Amino acid sequence: MSAVAAETPAAPKPRRPQLTGRARSERRLAAMLVGPAAIVMIAVTAYPIIDAIVLSLQRSDLRFPNQSKFIGLSNYGHVLSAPVWWQDVLHTAIITVVSVSIQFVLGMALALVMHRTLVARGLVRAVALIPYGIVAVVAAYSWELAWSLNSGWIPKLLGLTGDPLSHTFGTYIAIIITEIWKNTPFMALLLLAGLALVPDELLEAAKVDGASAWQRFMRITVPLMKPAILVALLFRTLDAFRIFDTIYIFNQGAQGTESISMLNYSTLLDRLNLGLGSAVSVLLFLFVALIAFVFIKGFGAGVAPGGATGR
Amino acid sequence: MLAAVAAAALCTGCGSSSNGSITLNWYVFPEPSGSFAAAASACSKASGGRYNIAINFLSTSSDQQRVSLVRRLAANDSSIDILAMDVDWTAEFADAKWIRPVPAGLAAQIKTVDLAGPVQTATYQNRIWAVPINSNTELLWYRKDLLADIHQPVPTTWTQMINDAIQLAKLGKPHYIEEQGAQYEGLTVWFNSMVDSAGGQIITANNKVVIGKPAETAASIMHRLATSPAADPSLNVATEGSSDVAFDAGTAAFEINYPFVWQSAQTANPTVAKQMGYAPFPEVVGGIPPHVSIGGYNLAVSAHSRHSQLAFDAISCLTQEQPEITYAVKGGLAPVRRSVYSIASFDKLYPFHSMIQSQLQTYGIRPQTPAYADVTLAIQKALSPTSNINPKTVVNTLRNEIKLSLSSEALL
Amino acid sequence: MSVGEATGRRAAAARARAGQRTGFVSESVKRTTGWSAALVVVLVLSLVPVLWIVMLSLKTPATATDGSFIPHQWTLSNYSDIFKTGIFTSALRNSIGIALISTALAVIIASAAAYAIARLDFPGKRVILAVVLGVAMFPQISLVGPLYNLWRQIGLYDTWPGLIIPYMTFALPLSIFVLSSFFREIPWELEQAAEVDGATPFQAFRKVIVPLAMPGLVTTFIIVFIICWNDFVFAISLTSTTRAETVPAAISTFPGVSQFTVPYGDIAAAAVVVTVPVMLLVLLFQRRIVAGLTAGAVKG
Repeated sequence: MSAVAAETPAAPKPRRPQLTGRARSERRLAAMLVGPAAIVMIAVTAYPIIDAIVLSLQRSDLRFPNQSKFIGLSNYGHVLSAPVWWQDVLHTAIITVVSVSIQFVLGMALALVMHRTLVARGLVRAVALIPYGIVAVVAAYSWELAWSLNSGWIPKLLGLTGDPLSHTFGTYIAIIITEIWKNTPFMALLLLAGLALVPDELLEAAKVDGASAWQRFMRITVPLMKPAILVALLFRTLDAFRIFDTIYIFNQGAQGTESISMLNYSTLLDRLNLGLGSAVSVLLFLFVALIAFVFIKGFGAGVAPGGATGR
Repeated sequence: MLAAVAAAALCTGCGSSSNGSITLNWYVFPEPSGSFAAAASACSKASGGRYNIAINFLSTSSDQQRVSLVRRLAANDSSIDILAMDVDWTAEFADAKWIRPVPAGLAAQIKTVDLAGPVQTATYQNRIWAVPINSNTELLWYRKDLLADIHQPVPTTWTQMINDAIQLAKLGKPHYIEEQGAQYEGLTVWFNSMVDSAGGQIITANNKVVIGKPAETAASIMHRLATSPAADPSLNVATEGSSDVAFDAGTAAFEINYPFVWQSAQTANPTVAKQMGYAPFPEVVGGIPPHVSIGGYNLAVSAHSRHSQLAFDAISCLTQEQPEITYAVKGGLAPVRRSVYSIASFDKLYPFHSMIQSQLQTYGIRPQTPAYADVTLAIQKALSPTSNINPKTVVNTLRNEIKLSLSSEALL
Repeated sequence: MSVGEATGRRAAAARARAGQRTGFVSESVKRTTGWSAALVVVLVLSLVPVLWIVMLSLKTPATATDGSFIPHQWTLSNYSDIFKTGIFTSALRNSIGIALISTALAVIIASAAAYAIARLDFPGKRVILAVVLGVAMFPQISLVGPLYNLWRQIGLYDTWPGLIIPYMTFALPLSIFVLSSFFREIPWELEQAAEVDGATPFQAFRKVIVPLAMPGLVTTFIIVFIICWNDFVFAISLTSTTRAETVPAAISTFPGVSQFTVPYGDIAAAAVVVTVPVMLLVLLFQRRIVAGLTAGAVKG
């Protein structure tokens, strides 16, 4: 298999303190092995984002192809002074905060169930992963059609007379529930990784000392899980902030639910306004970087090199 | 290696067929009755082997059709030869040089045989850029039995219609007025019809933003409807399809919609269909005849097509009188040729045809500007949900945003 | 609904834990009941939306909008419908091809990198990990504009490579993460032991290391495939026609019966067809997936 072929250079394993030659050849090998991944990742992310920065400084609209010109930071001015930008930031923030906090609570509960259940452990885990595996678009359709006044079963179940999806509040609830349903399993898995590392002996000892389940949970489990909790919150917050699929399928951002990602998409790919849209892209990128910064430096999320944490 | 794969992947749409005749790719909305597909094969046969029209269906939603075409045209895709453009895209596509102007001979012919409204939709800066294939305009549909219950004649103004609905509501009878209030193009159609009917305009032909008092009148009527008992609870997500379904379900007394609802009611609910009457679009200001925004599609030739002359020939064939009659009779699409309206058999299957013809002569038209996608988005966002419209401020908001849109500076 | 669910689960868990204090026999009965309740809650909540889509796909077009959970009239016509036009079949072909190729490429490139990260020491390891992290946190939507612009200029718009390149890139961080934690677990000394026993380095690698690395490679393949299969943002931004449109994008633009109707049944049928393979993968490989995503902390 080619995966194997890529690993067949006959590099000697370091058994003794390294000779300079061996160290050098090890470094060369590392460069060859890591090179492709590094090049791909950097090229495919750095080049477009630089392109976006360049485009954001121009009036560039594919519907007026002969009128492109350099306009400095004007696009940023238009974006930051447009009410719709700040409204969308607010919408995105609301959805992010509400859905991530609920996901956290439910995810923790689900992680506990997945970890400690005495009944059908494999089945619980398998079934709990289903929302994770389902195509996001399918999940969104399922929930949207469930909430829809004419074709859905939820309004009947809740005895609603009005159309929940015709109103901002109802639409938010439906979207947030969809997001929670789809993403709680992943949150649970990230937390489970931390949960599984809490030593049972500590918990046993505490039980013997008379601590209640709640006390054991809050005083031992949670503090020991702190690194996993921070990583889980960091990645889920970033994901939630970038919300797109669900809102697009529900109503394309109508009823006051448009998110920043949707604004980005519609400006660039519906209206073909590359200059303005690129400014939105760059601002979104900066927002995401800011959130990551706050989590890593502010809360100390443990993503230091050495533990290769990914998504 | 990547380039080879890319080239191979790109060439699946390449246009030459095995028997030597050129394949012309026609991209159009999925016309359900099959009349477009039939016309395509008839014209291919009639061409005597010169060309073969391959019909390709886009999405049902007009917005989605535009997005799909626009991205490909901006990417210089040469696999599109003929495209069916919604009537409000002409200015945008022409200005961006994505389509070719119609040759002089064909253009002159169109101006003589087609109705004024469709011809205007195919015009930009005094040139004809596309050939109309079908038109559309909204009528007022009402329940004869419910009007009889409140002893009222068919309403001729919006105010009357809303009052009738409120009266019916008080009696506990079906009373909704179905209109398209979702945040999409249908909302712009509604608003534009109201503004034009109130004697005003949004943008003039040379991109001057003139939206003013008539727009305020229009917005207040829309707001009044949305906050009265006449409003369907799903007004904020109502589209042509859902309006039709609601009327057929019997909960509505009035409906503003396209003629497809006539046939739809016969199949879905014959009881309601028996009581269904039709009337012209109501007046906005008593005394001023309404100007209803016309819809429909025009056929254009892509600027990147490699067979433009053949494509124009094909288009000319697809819009002859005989296929036009079929589109109307089988597909329920309002014809664009004047002569079709005087054909006797048309009367029976398309009973409201004279109403349609007159509305297409005294037409309303959505702003013809290259920035139309932005203008309609600004309108949709400012007016949705209709129950939240503030008639005093919405006109100013729209004026500012439309002005910014014209210079690509509006974030919407 | 969600608050009640949380309380329910917490109560079940707390009951189970509390049961330990009231005597041995009733304790284990209480615990089992508690965890069974939790199992039922998880089952119901996870499966209801999936069942709903299946039910919707079996409704006749006439009853699609009647609002009942269980169809009053059953039909399989929606399934035959979606295969009639070529749109769904091409979308399936595109999805399968693009996801397989992207996943294969990502796994190959990531294996090499993960091997180096797990086993070798080199300067710049911190930098690489920072890059991996950066890409994992990157807002993909910020790239769709520039990528569209770039692709349309070099002819990659609406092509397979046009999607494969971004998919592969954004699959790399998770692949490297999962693979490097698997590679750290492998007892590499076995390779030396085989060599001592007379195998050539290549034989040792092939016969000892590869079988040990397989589970990790398979797990990563599955996890990445699911991600590529599910992508929506890039699919709707960088494709337009059956040349490269994948299933998630195609579902969202399904043509209806008339110009103005929404094909609920067709959408649901397509949704079921595209969900079933992934669900099977998830159910069959849940142990591997959980182990992979928890960096080996949970081995099932």
